[in-house]
Amino acid sequence: MRALAASVEEVFREAAARWTLVAYFTLSTIFILLFATAVNLDIVNGALAGAKLFGQSVEIGRSSVDIDRLVLGFESGFSGFLYLVGTFLALFATAHLVPRLQEKGTIDLYLSRPVGRVPLLLSRYTAGLLLAAANLLYLIGSLWLIIVWKTHVVHGRFFLAGLSILFTIATLLAFAFLVGVVTSSTGVSLMATYAIFFFSAILAAHSRISAALSKDWAAKLVEALYWIFPKTAQLGRATVAHVAGDQAFRGIGDMNLLAVYGSTAIFGIATLMLACWLFSRKDF
Amino acid sequence: MSALPIEARGLRKAYRSGLKGRTVLALDGLDLDVRPGEMFGLLGPNGAGKTTTVKILLGLTRATSGEARLFGIPVGNPESRRRVGYLPEGHRFPGYLTARETLAIFGRMSGVDGPALRSRIEPLLDRVGLASWRDVRVKKFSKGMTQRLGLAAALVHDPQVLLLDEPTDGVDPVGRREIRDLLREEADRGRAILVNSHLLSEIERTCDRVAVLRAGRIAAQGTIAELTAQTTRYRMAVSPIDDALLASLRETGSEVTRVNGHLELSARDLVQLNAAVDRVRARGALLEELSPLRASLEDVFVDLIAPASVAGAGPKEPS
Repeated sequence: MRALAASVEEVFREAAARWTLVAYFTLSTIFILLFATAVNLDIVNGALAGAKLFGQSVEIGRSSVDIDRLVLGFESGFSGFLYLVGTFLALFATAHLVPRLQEKGTIDLYLSRPVGRVPLLLSRYTAGLLLAAANLLYLIGSLWLIIVWKTHVVHGRFFLAGLSILFTIATLLAFAFLVGVVTSSTGVSLMATYAIFFFSAILAAHSRISAALSKDWAAKLVEALYWIFPKTAQLGRATVAHVAGDQAFRGIGDMNLLAVYGSTAIFGIATLMLACWLFSRKDF
Repeated sequence: MSALPIEARGLRKAYRSGLKGRTVLALDGLDLDVRPGEMFGLLGPNGAGKTTTVKILLGLTRATSGEARLFGIPVGNPESRRRVGYLPEGHRFPGYLTARETLAIFGRMSGVDGPALRSRIEPLLDRVGLASWRDVRVKKFSKGMTQRLGLAAALVHDPQVLLLDEPTDGVDPVGRREIRDLLREEADRGRAILVNSHLLSEIERTCDRVAVLRAGRIAAQGTIAELTAQTTRYRMAVSPIDDALLASLRETGSEVTRVNGHLELSARDLVQLNAAVDRVRARGALLEELSPLRASLEDVFVDLIAPASVAGAGPKEPS
């Protein structure tokens, strides 16, 4: 356990030294400060009476705006934005963890210690996830506090977005680790993982794509690929829906959440297991 | 009886290379024993199998067949590395860590707890000559300093076995001597040390036993004295030396040459050698010294490797 904790610590030190961690948190802090200072709301009896953005009054019409719904709208919209940006940033900050470990002159230093290969790989995977989770918690937690401070509206569901995004990152990071073990290349790991993200999003339209295909086997292949790959588009919608609540879920009634999360989890676990198996078999 | 620190039997390693999957034999039935308190040198030309041997011992590479154990524990078990310190060739410590942080991280990865590490790191940095560099980032270190740090990292968990790949690589002459002394101290404390090096003079000065690898096999093995002794040639100091004495010695069948005031003669066996001594006494000359001539380790190495180098002393395809 001591050895694995040292491995996790080493990843965080590396992230700090390479400015990844600093850049990650600096960007988040700039966004939080902008939000905290730029938005000023005038709330009267639970309704928005006036608003200022960067000191300029914002026209909000004659009808009063329910502040609860406004906050919900912002939080769910921001969740969708964070799903895309947060996932991409997290992968960018962590995709190097395996290729760097496997570099000649480095891998010998780690594998010559009394640590199994699978625990070593999993410790770096855990460290990558902790890094992403820390940033998500910082960003979402800070924004949530600012919203509570400015509006007195408390929505705990905002944090569900963080969990859903972390789930997506965990799945895609497992795939990045698999590519990293095979190719030892950070660039290839990143490109392959981003490609999977977009390819899977396209497969969300699997029914329409299958219907448009003339060959039966091609249609079946598209369906199979849809079920094999992570459901990145649906996960994005689900992230927003988790924050928005029941009404939003009714809007995505065609989506089986259990199937979306379940099949994505299977993809993540399978790729991580394959990465571990290949890493444990590799000659260095 | 306790298990040997390093034990290998019939190690064989075949690599597949190229698109056609051509098999190359890096090791071909290697047997190896290293005892406690012993410094063992592994010599050989490039591709002879030295690094492969060390990598198999550390579980970095899997043997195709045969078995290797560290203190009786199969090398596939990570626990076998708990008592092992390793200094790889061309190692790259994270440049963003200081010397002290490097030892702390790698010490903890070897299972050493915080208090033990705190008491160990400072004296160790002092011992390898990096005390004043303890809080400097590794990326600022010269090659020699990185090598010293590597040695400290190999020693940080107080291992019973040291596997060292070119330990004095990039180190200046004074530093080399310091490292040699440090390794000798470790061996005297009962540590088993396996040194893999191209620097024959270093091996000759430090190692108790040596194995010369050629094409994945041990071509010769023994103590330095055993390997360098040339039992057929002797140095003989006598006085006076004159042409009559030389002629008399040659009559015994020995090849005799006069070198810097003494004689060098060959004798196929002890009978012929004693016959030569009898001739010296019969001529009324006084025998001052008689000793076997020793070759340098380099001479032995070249003799062992040279004939094969034409045919390929490196990896070979299995027959």
